[in-house]
Order: sequence, then C-alpha cells, then structure tokens
Amino acid sequence: MAANSIDQSPFFQGKRSRAEIVVKDPPKFDLESYVSNYDGRTRIHRLHHIGSCSPFLALEAYRTAITEAKKGKNIKLYLSLVEDFAKISPSDPLAVTDSAWVDKKKRDVKEEQDKLEHELKAYKNNLIKESIRMGHEDLGHFFYATGNFADAQKAYMRMREHCTSSKHIADMGLRVTLATIAQQSWLQVHSGLVKIDASQLKGEDKAKLEPIVSAVTGLAHMALGSFRDAATSFIHTSPAYLNVEPAAGIAWQREALSGNDVAVYGGLCALASMDRVELQQMVLSNTDFRNFLELEPHIRRAITLFCNSKYSACLEVLESYRNDYLLDVYLSSRVSEIYNNIRTKSIVQYFIPFSCVTLDEMADKFQPTGDYASIETELEDMINAGVLDARIDLVDRLLICPSTDPRFEVHSNALEMAESYDQTLRLRLSRINMLSAGFAVPAEKGSKMDAFMGGGMGDGGVLRNLGSKLGLS
Amino acid sequence: MSGEVISLLLSFQPDSPEFKSKREYDIQARRFAHDIANLSPQHFARGADTSQDILEICNPAVNTIAYIFPLQYRIAAAGGTFQSPKHVSDQLKPGGALWNKAVNFLENADPIQLRYVGAEWRKLCTYIEQVARFTGTPALAISPIRSGMLRLDPTSGTFTSVHLQFIRICVETRSYAAANPILDNYIHSLPGSIPQVVRESLEFSVPASDKLTNSGEFIHAKSGHSDKISLPDLQEYYLLGSHAYIGQRQWAKAMRLLEHILVTPVVTGVGNGLMLEAYKKWVLVTCLVHGTAKPLPRTTNTSAFKGIKAASKAYDALADAFADLSNLPKLRAQINAGRDTWAEDGNLGLVNQLAENQYRFYVARLSRTFSAIPVSKIAAALDGTVQNLTTYLEGLIANGDLNASLEQTNRPELGVVLRFYPDPTKGPLAKTEKQQLQALLAQTERTNLLAEQVKSADYRLSLTKEYIEHIKRVNKKATQGGGGGDAMDMQFEEPLEEDLMQ
Repeated sequence: MAANSIDQSPFFQGKRSRAEIVVKDPPKFDLESYVSNYDGRTRIHRLHHIGSCSPFLALEAYRTAITEAKKGKNIKLYLSLVEDFAKISPSDPLAVTDSAWVDKKKRDVKEEQDKLEHELKAYKNNLIKESIRMGHEDLGHFFYATGNFADAQKAYMRMREHCTSSKHIADMGLRVTLATIAQQSWLQVHSGLVKIDASQLKGEDKAKLEPIVSAVTGLAHMALGSFRDAATSFIHTSPAYLNVEPAAGIAWQREALSGNDVAVYGGLCALASMDRVELQQMVLSNTDFRNFLELEPHIRRAITLFCNSKYSACLEVLESYRNDYLLDVYLSSRVSEIYNNIRTKSIVQYFIPFSCVTLDEMADKFQPTGDYASIETELEDMINAGVLDARIDLVDRLLICPSTDPRFEVHSNALEMAESYDQTLRLRLSRINMLSAGFAVPAEKGSKMDAFMGGGMGDGGVLRNLGSKLGLS
Repeated sequence: MSGEVISLLLSFQPDSPEFKSKREYDIQARRFAHDIANLSPQHFARGADTSQDILEICNPAVNTIAYIFPLQYRIAAAGGTFQSPKHVSDQLKPGGALWNKAVNFLENADPIQLRYVGAEWRKLCTYIEQVARFTGTPALAISPIRSGMLRLDPTSGTFTSVHLQFIRICVETRSYAAANPILDNYIHSLPGSIPQVVRESLEFSVPASDKLTNSGEFIHAKSGHSDKISLPDLQEYYLLGSHAYIGQRQWAKAMRLLEHILVTPVVTGVGNGLMLEAYKKWVLVTCLVHGTAKPLPRTTNTSAFKGIKAASKAYDALADAFADLSNLPKLRAQINAGRDTWAEDGNLGLVNQLAENQYRFYVARLSRTFSAIPVSKIAAALDGTVQNLTTYLEGLIANGDLNASLEQTNRPELGVVLRFYPDPTKGPLAKTEKQQLQALLAQTERTNLLAEQVKSADYRLSLTKEYIEHIKRVNKKATQGGGGGDAMDMQFEEPLEEDLMQ
C-alpha cells in the first residue's frame, strides 16, 4: 500500500509526464550493501539517483541521503533532497526542511570561505609557492564539499602555476577531474585525463595512476556514447585498480567508480561494440579484466553466452539486470542505447549463417522489447539503417539474405564509374573549349541575359520571347 | 553562253584522277568555289524549268559546289526578300519543286565539298527555316536541317549557329524527339581559329583531307558554317536542349546537358542568368535521376555558385524535402508553399514531376528492405487506395523503373503482393552477362571516341597564338643557358608568393 502511494506521488507522476526514467520493479541489489561501496559525494549522488528513479527504494534512499547530507556542507544538495522527498512522502519527519541547520550551515560556510580566502591572500603576500598551492587546494576542497564544483575546478586550476613537481601537477589534474566528473562535463574529464596521462610522472607513481586514468577514461567515453573506446579503456584497466592507494587524497574506487562498476561498464560496452572473436580474445581471455569480471559473474556469463551464439539467453540475462543498471547513476541514460546495440548485434550475428529465417522464429529468439511494435518493424529499421543486410518477405514471413553476384556487381560498378568519368571529362573538355574560344561570363553582369530570364519550361513547352529573336541574318 | 556556264559548273569533278593529292584538290576546290561565286547570277536563271536547267544537269551528290550557288539564287528569287508570306512562291513552299530540290541537296550533298561552301550551306539552312516559318509550318524545317547538319558532320559535335536555330525550332514546335539525333551528340568542339597555313597548304590538314577525324578542324571561324557565336548562344543551346529532354522525361540526359552550363567559366562575380536558370532546373532534374540532390560537378566555379545557390534556396529546400522519404507530405507542402516561385520560373511542370516521382524512390527504397510486401501495406503507408497503387506499380514495372512483379495471392488478407528481385540477374529487368558485356564494350567505344576528341582539342589548342607564344618564351629561356633555370624557378615561385599575400 505504502509502495503504491509512493509510486503515485506527485514526484513520480511528474517524472513520468516528462518521460523520464522511472523503474517500477525492485532491483536485484540491496541498497545498503550497494551504497556501502561508495564514499563522499558519489554516495549521496547515487542515493539521490536511486531515490528519484525507483519508487520501491525511494523512502530508504532519500532517508539515508538526507541524513548523510546533513553531515556535510552542501546546503543546496540538502535543500533539493528535502524538496523532492516532500513530494514523495510529505509525512516523513525528514521531509521537513531543518531551517535551523540550514541557517547555521550557511553562516559556517561563509565564515570558512572568508577564512580560507584570507589565508590564501596571506600566503600570496608571502610569495611562498607551496603555501599558495595549498591555499588554492584548500579552497578547492571547500568548494567541492559545498557542492560548488565549477568554483572548485577553478580553484584547483589555479594551483597549476604554483606546482613545483610533476606529482603536484598530476594530483592537481586528478582533483580537477573529480570536479569535472561531478559537473558531468565529460569532454573536460576526457581532456583532463589525457593531460594526466601525458604528465612526466615516472616509475611507481606512474604505475599507480595508470589504472585510475584508464578506468575514468572509460567512464568518460561511455558517458559520451563512444562505447568502443570505453570498452577498450575498461578492459585494459589493470586489476591494481581494485586496491590502489588513494591518489591525490581520493580513493577512486570509492569516490568515483568501483571495481564492480568497471566490470559492468566494461562488459556492457564491449558487448555493445565488439564482435564474437574480439569478445573472446580481448575480454574473456584477458587476464587483467578477468579479475573484474569475477566481481560480476552475470556479465561474464552474458559475454560467454554471446560468444557461444546463444543470443537469446544472453539478452535474457541482460534484461533481468536492466533495472539495476537503470538505477546506476552513470549507466542509466545509456542503458537502452547499449542494450539496443547488443540486441541489434545479436540479430545481425544470429542471421549470418542463415540464408533464410522465418520471422516468427526471429520473434521467438528475440523477444520484442517494446521499443518496436513487432519484429518486422525492428528488422525494417535495421535494414534501412544499413546494419543488417537482408530483405523481408512479408508474404511468406521470411527474412532473406540477398544473394549477391560479385561478377555482375563489378561489371555494374565499372559501367557506372566509366559513365561518371566520361561525363566529368566531357565537362572538362567543354570548359576548356569555352575558355579557348574566349567564352567566360565577364566580370560585370550582362544585361542581355534578362531576355531569357522569363525562359520557358520543358513540360509546358511554352517558350516566350524566342520567336522575336529570330530574324533575317 | 549557257553551255559555257554548264561546262564551267561541271568542270570540277571530285573523283577526277587529276587530283593526285588532297592539297591539289583543296586548291582546285577553293578556286572553283571562288569562280562560281563571281559568276553573274543571271546565268543561273537560264533554262529554268526546262531540261537544260542547271539544277537538273548537276547532281547534288557530285557537283555539290556547283549546285549550291544556283540553288540559292533560285530560292532567293522565288522567296524574294522574305518580307511577307505572299512573296514565297508555290515552288518554294514545302512540297514544291524547289523545296524538294533543296531538301534533296541537304540530304545528299558531298560532305567533302560542303566544307568549301560553308557560308552558302548555312544560308541554305536559314532559307529553309524561313520558308517553313512563312508558310506557318516551322516543324517542316526540322528534318531537312537535321539531315544537312548530319551530312556535313556526322558527329554534329562542332557547335554552329545552325545548332541553335535547329533547337529553337524543335522546342518551339514541341518536336522534342526530333531533336534527339543532334542532342545526343556531345558538343566536343567550338569553331575556333585555325591558322591559314594549316588550313590551306598542308596535305593532311586541308579541309578535303580524309585524315581529319574531328569536325572542329574543318568547321572553324573562317569556314562560314557558323555565324559568329557567343557564350549565351551556347548556353541557350544547352538549356533548350535540356528542355527537349525534359519534355521527353529523359531526366539523366537533361541533367548532363545542364551540367555543361554549370561549368561555364566565370571571371569574377556570380555568373549569368542562364546559369541561374540552369542550376534551378539541374537541382530538380538531379532529384528525378538520383532521388536526392548531388554535389555540383567538380569543374564548376565555386565562388560563382555561392551567389547562384543563395538565389535558389527554395529549390535546394525542395530537393531536401524530396529526398526525405520518411516524411512524404513535406514535399507536397513545400510545393504548395512555393507555387508562385515555381510558376514564375517556369518550372511548375518539373516541380509537379517531383511529386509524381517521389513514390518511385519510395518504392525503390522498399526494394532494399523487402523482398515481398503486400500492396495494401504500402497503400496504408502512403494513404492511397490499393487500386490506384497497383496501377501505379504496374506502370513502374512496365517502364523498367522497378525490377519487380505483382502477384495475386490466394490468401485474402494479403491480396496483391509486390515481389522484388534483389538479385539483379533475375526478374523482368534481369541483364544477362552478354548484355553487360555489350554495355561495357559500348562504353569503351564512347571513351575511346572521347579520347580522340580530347586529342583533337589539344591539337587545335597547340595551333593557337597564345600557345605558340608560350612555347617561344619557354624556348627562349631554355636557350639562355644557366640563367634559364633560374627564370624557370621564378615562374614557380611567383604564384606561390601571390597566394601568401592574399
């Protein structure tokens, strides 16, 4: 009953009317243990996302999130959480804004900001580079904690000219990256990571950073929709990521994306962008990535099924986890795209060995997802998009592989090409002839032409003004 | 006296063994033409309508030069000065004795001798046209002029003012198909200037030489076959030619002809009105050929086309709507919205063709997706009735636009079914390997011919003053020894520097 009232609450009603994601069914994971994998901003962020997407987990997620938020300095976040929650469960004690806390926090934050800025000014007067750098860093941390990510990024960027070692530069880069991830400006994330990767760190320091850079690069690629690049980055992430020491004071596997996330994101992106041979060689036989896949055995199973051409089973496995992925903060907006890619690829791969398949068989193997009215329409779209090379026979309800005649094709292409070259050459010769005869449209517009402007047209066959031009010569 | 004239007229026999070389023939032919031109016209009038008539004694196929002068004199006499239709005598009217003689001459004259009487030949064509016009039947002039053109130059590829006269009559009288034998031939040469020494004293390049492979070598600025022509004349020919093709719904040919206007060299500025006109038609016709707009031919002047494109945005938008097969009503809406524009440009008929032809591309797209589809399903997508659509599809199949067939199934829920043939070697439009091979061979032949035409154009370019001066300069530099190298380098560097300056 309670769940139903939440589902029907104004908040979710509003989301549905805006056609935003609302996950109806309960997910497979346990919220508490899931969230316990994360720390810092991403923890509340994830809770917020889950709460706002799943009516089933909304109460629990918002309650935890609001409690957590109150521990921090991010007033904006707290206020927006409470606002949402009030729409979901107005009677809950946590749904009422704690204005005393808000006022106090506002004052505290103002004070702290003044203090930090003052300190920074003092450092600047002293002209000690290291102090100035740390002053900026403190200010950056402060802005980050208050949820002012743009200013945090700016503060971190100002550290650049006061950095004295390449380690400082790399740390600064990582900080900037975290701030840009929080803003979800993925292009900046990507360019920042490229800079870190190109930094002059050597030996152990570099080795420590590598897994982080490659995992976060994968995330940026995935968020930008380039799944192939994302997959490559993820599957080449070293298993050291799982227990890498905090870099720049950030425990990446807790504050950005966990090892499980790497496995899921990497596995899905690979499924969406690679063919069977590549999946076998680059994903399943990849000893580095195996460590990640062990964390998420169903992803491994899905990939194995795909490699063994059991596409419907593979899709079934993935489908059962769709809800979980919709609740993942980074994956949710890409899930349907990734799933569609995998589905399309499965259909293409499935059809390769056949010359002819009945549509009913196809519909049976690939249960319609609801995006299309029927398997025919889906196949039709795939063929029109050039993904699937086949023809549909709506009479006998068959999917047919078009027979090709390479010899005929070569001949036809040769003819076509010859004709187009022929015409190109003719046009060139025409132009040369005109040039050599001194025919060129002069710089000034000839008024003579106007007589023809009213010209005729073929089908009507009306040709005005021409008769009058014919006189005795 | 009359006998003397006749013996003079018959004195030039092209097959005479006296002509040991083409050069001699050339000298004789020119002298002969000159002599006859200087004869007093009264001589030609003698014995008319008797057995002693010069036009009866001379054979147009043998005594071509001798024949054309009296013929012309007679026509002029019979038609007076073409002041009014009344002056045209019955003899000259189509079907009259003199008309028939003129037609017979154009059809059967000796092509080699015709090369020496260009001006007279052109005048004859003009007379024919004028007579036909004065008698109110301009279409009757088409066939004789066409025969005359092909007799003089079987390739009809050197542009003359007669080409323009010809196409004007064809389009005016809507005799589009009659223009095809000329229009189908590529204009590979424009009459240019050929140095006198080449024209008159070289064995292999005198007009009479049978070594001349290209009509551009005997139809030139001085030969008289063409009046002085200008760029608008040439463009008008192409434009009217495209009208003729459009009238026959031969879109691809129309498109190719229009492209010749698009490549017109432009010094600066935006080109001329004919180019604008041609571009608009070209956009529409390209759609009818390919189903979508295509980039301009590579040889066009891009800066000039900025202006032209800006002035024909409505057409580009129309092409976009045409290519958008998933939104068929868009094209209808565009056509209605711009109705005044199309009508004003005289393109309304062509625009309506777009509406008609869009279904053709829609069905063609279906053929890339389906191998068989019930007609009722297509009809539902197009908001049409099965009956109409079936008729339309039958038309497409009959025209050879679609490699498919219509089948009646025994299942009532499917009704008539359209079955495509994805394999190009099957179905009603199937081509056998042999047909393909023939097409390839024909193309090879065309290409070889084109290569000859290019060679000839190259040769004629090498005869121009500009080229000879260029060669002189190059040679001069080469003979200056060491300094020559530097001078050459300068030539390459200068344009580079200019580029940098810009």
